[in-house]
Amino acid sequence: MAEKYVILPCNGLDKCAGLVTRELALKLHERWDSEIICPVFYRVSEAKYNKLAAERPLLVIDGCPTRCASKLAVEKNLKVARRIIVADEAKKHRIGLNDGLRITDLERRFIDDLFEELNKIEETVRPASENEAVSYNFDYETIQNRKFIFRIPKNGEVFFNENDCWAWVNGNRARIGVTDYVQQNLSDILYFYPPEVGDEIDQFGESGSIESSKAVFELVSPFSGKVVAINDKLATNPELINENPYELGWIAELELTDPEGDKELLIGFERYIEITQKKVEDADVK
Amino acid sequence: MAILKVGILSCSGEECLGGTISRLATRKVLEEMKMVDTVTLCLPLYNAGGKEERNFASVFPTISVDGCDKLCAKRSTEKYSGRINGSIDVSKIIGNENALNTKIIRNNDLKEEHYRMVDEVAGEIVKAISDLEPNSYAGKTFRGCGCGD
Repeated sequence: MAEKYVILPCNGLDKCAGLVTRELALKLHERWDSEIICPVFYRVSEAKYNKLAAERPLLVIDGCPTRCASKLAVEKNLKVARRIIVADEAKKHRIGLNDGLRITDLERRFIDDLFEELNKIEETVRPASENEAVSYNFDYETIQNRKFIFRIPKNGEVFFNENDCWAWVNGNRARIGVTDYVQQNLSDILYFYPPEVGDEIDQFGESGSIESSKAVFELVSPFSGKVVAINDKLATNPELINENPYELGWIAELELTDPEGDKELLIGFERYIEITQKKVEDADVK
Repeated sequence: MAILKVGILSCSGEECLGGTISRLATRKVLEEMKMVDTVTLCLPLYNAGGKEERNFASVFPTISVDGCDKLCAKRSTEKYSGRINGSIDVSKIIGNENALNTKIIRNNDLKEEHYRMVDEVAGEIVKAISDLEPNSYAGKTFRGCGCGD
């Protein structure tokens, strides 16, 4: 049976995608016995909803990439267990939502499909290894440039790509994230946009992004696989990536599709430290 | 000065029937009654800091439509964009008991009587738009980028 979520839809009223968030939320409310947070009333009276959100995992449903509901969740310090962006889902389904404010048969079928997919994810996703007492035991090598010190784990199970993303392989799963070089260049990370649990990601495909006041960085996945967990602590504490991008700041966990094949296109510690050394010298990071 | 554009900022309420009626009535005004130069402003986006929404309501006459007497839409408009030009409280039109009905919220559950309520509220919105004075822009000031700074 699906988990009893508390649902925060954006409830937008100027695009059809916003209307879909509401209808999907109501459907989940009926079928899953989930509670709904009214995004408007939440701003007026938060006590009731804070209690709900503390008791149950939170599913955020945004209509468009403006992500009003996600922003509200961040503003209220809520931990997001799952997130859906209707506009992105529509693209994946190759559906063009209508321009008006009307739910037609097309949108109704789309809502049914989204609901069924959520049901399937609930049935198939296994617990993240986060709950299995993960022990990294990383040894770090450092590169120093002026006052900056960049740390790089040198364990054999850690792989890198040239896009400054890492992956730690543990059995048929891997945790992925950004390297110290990225977090120090971005400086204070303010927002975390994870991939969706259940997403199938290609090797070198986009798998979430992080944003600071300086720039947005899109995570390029070192491995192909299915997202089985995201680090939901980052939703409310994205600064954990600054604190420790390899352990506390992992972004997502993948169930790997072709680990041995993917490894052929990745680099190990020794090569990555050479590349980083050169980047640091070229950029003369200040 | 003639009225050029009017914004409707409707409750996106999720808790009770009043919110559903607000949304449907707003949509009816825009799509079926085809009121000239009337646009809907997205309240969740407006509250989240949407610059275009806030800027529009700062400059153009704006009417709020609220599902219940908590008046979330009206209060938000006054807070972020200053004076409001018209305010509809759905609970005063369809009655508090109906507006606060928490059993019937989904469009699929609506019956003929609820659609009559939608028509009635839509009529009130149209009336509020028609009643706007030519000086509805008075007191409305352009706020630059809309961030309010």
